[in-house]
Amino acid sequence: MRANWGLVLLPPLVLSMILLFGPQIMFLRASFFEDLGIGRLGPDITFVNYILAFTDSFYYESLILNFQLSASVTLLSLFVAFPVAYRIARMTSRWAMIVLAAIIVSAFLSVAIKILGMMILFAANGVLNSFLLWTGIITDTIGIIGTIPGIIFGLVHLSISFKVLMLFSVIQTVPRSLEEAAEIHGAKRWRVYWRVVIPLSLPGIISVSLLSFNLVMGAFVSALVLGGGKIFTLPVLIQQSLMLFSEFGMSAALSALLMLFVFTINIISVILVTRVHAARLAVT
Amino acid sequence: MSEHAASTNLETRKPVPTVGFTNPFSRWRKSIGGWVLNAWVGIVIIVIYLPVVIVVGASVDPGTYIESRAFLTFPPRGFSLQWYLSIHPRLWHSLWVSVSMASVSAFFGLLIGVPAALGLIRCNWRGKILMGSLFRAPLQIPFIVIGVAFLQAYHLSADVFHINLVGSFTGLVLGHVFVAVPYVISAVGVQVQRFNPSMEEAALIHGATRMRTFMRVTLPIIMPGIYAGGLYAFLISFGDVTISLFLAGPDTTPFPVQVLHTITQDFDPTVPAMSALVCIGSLFVLLLVQKLVGLDILLRGGGSG
Repeated sequence: MRANWGLVLLPPLVLSMILLFGPQIMFLRASFFEDLGIGRLGPDITFVNYILAFTDSFYYESLILNFQLSASVTLLSLFVAFPVAYRIARMTSRWAMIVLAAIIVSAFLSVAIKILGMMILFAANGVLNSFLLWTGIITDTIGIIGTIPGIIFGLVHLSISFKVLMLFSVIQTVPRSLEEAAEIHGAKRWRVYWRVVIPLSLPGIISVSLLSFNLVMGAFVSALVLGGGKIFTLPVLIQQSLMLFSEFGMSAALSALLMLFVFTINIISVILVTRVHAARLAVT
Repeated sequence: MSEHAASTNLETRKPVPTVGFTNPFSRWRKSIGGWVLNAWVGIVIIVIYLPVVIVVGASVDPGTYIESRAFLTFPPRGFSLQWYLSIHPRLWHSLWVSVSMASVSAFFGLLIGVPAALGLIRCNWRGKILMGSLFRAPLQIPFIVIGVAFLQAYHLSADVFHINLVGSFTGLVLGHVFVAVPYVISAVGVQVQRFNPSMEEAALIHGATRMRTFMRVTLPIIMPGIYAGGLYAFLISFGDVTISLFLAGPDTTPFPVQVLHTITQDFDPTVPAMSALVCIGSLFVLLLVQKLVGLDILLRGGGSG
């Protein structure tokens, strides 16, 4: 009876591995050929694309920008989402279900529609500018599209719903009775957060942050639209080199770099997390 | 587990003898800090919904004409349903592409993911952990890289095998199935891990065939995971722009990609109307889910996998 499960696993394993390795190997292979224009690749294996990516400041600066954006968005959205997730996890009334449903619905509305709304919000004659002009905070319209804060707002906005949902499941695993115990023993609220809630949910917080970091590193629509064609993150460069210039080799090399970068960050943080765990076990 | 332990504690706990003692937790809930937290939740929800409200509001704007082209403003300066009545057939077609693409992707995602989840947890092969992380690998790959990789693979397969998937519906679905599988595996996996294999053994001992055992015991128990995984796969595929942008062709453009086109290239005043309809549609789907199985199935391990 046991052996059967291996047979059940085999077909999905084969199919998934074809889907995983087939395209990945083909595009990695393309990254080692020179672009000859209009989608044709050179005959010989070269590293010219990678050399260009590391020597041309245009490319490596976009990778640095991409990293800075993703790191700040991940941190900011954590600060925004954690209190919300905590509050919902500790709600006892029927409001919990209503608020949670609102967050779930918003998480599954298409990114494209939200971005469309943000464009109307941020446009030069849009809602935000009219409102700020009306209140007198600004005297001239401000451009938000095409600036770093605009992109950060968009990315934080798009990652909050999912982050609240994921952090909610994390915080639910922290028993409320532990908080009550700390309070009964005289701990102040902030101390309960700092010494009970946050340490106990830290592994979850880190894995949620990593997932959202990965998503933001590859986020492309918001960077393209809210960047207004002025800000080039790596995904925007990849899309343009492939779709506008048909540079199969260069776009593949940039994608490989992006993927390698994301993998490296993930591995480093996994190592750090296990170290922290080990250290804490050693102390206690 | 922990909840269970807590409730048994409550039952055995003797009343606290101190006079006038109130639960500090409930006291905090009425404190300033508690209200700040409540306000924060409210603000975040308002901001989350702001763009959608703006799109719906702008969709009923009569429109301002600049050089004979219509532009919409928010807050609307009137109420008109003209854009709803003149939605471009191209948009209806793209909605159909989206719905069918998401359904087919979810179906194949389940077809691959459900046996994979069962096998991964039940089998005693060596290297199970490695296989698990291979199945989860698509979650680590940025969407844009998935789009680039699949597009390049399709170009190559068109050149070498003369199988043209570039811009085809099949090609679009393959890319989305790739992303769907790990979500299905983690959603179903949670259910498989929870249930006790001895229930299946009991059915087998009592003479049920393996097929019958699967249909009558295993399947009903893992059903919530299947709903959740399928729904996840559908919603991710339906909302995706990045992968679709690379893999879609002129006749197979999903709705979100059409929205992107209207933002970046050529503004179409009927797109906000269509977007509003899509939002209302999504709302109905999720309400239906809530009525049938409860929205909280979407919280079970789906996203954190």
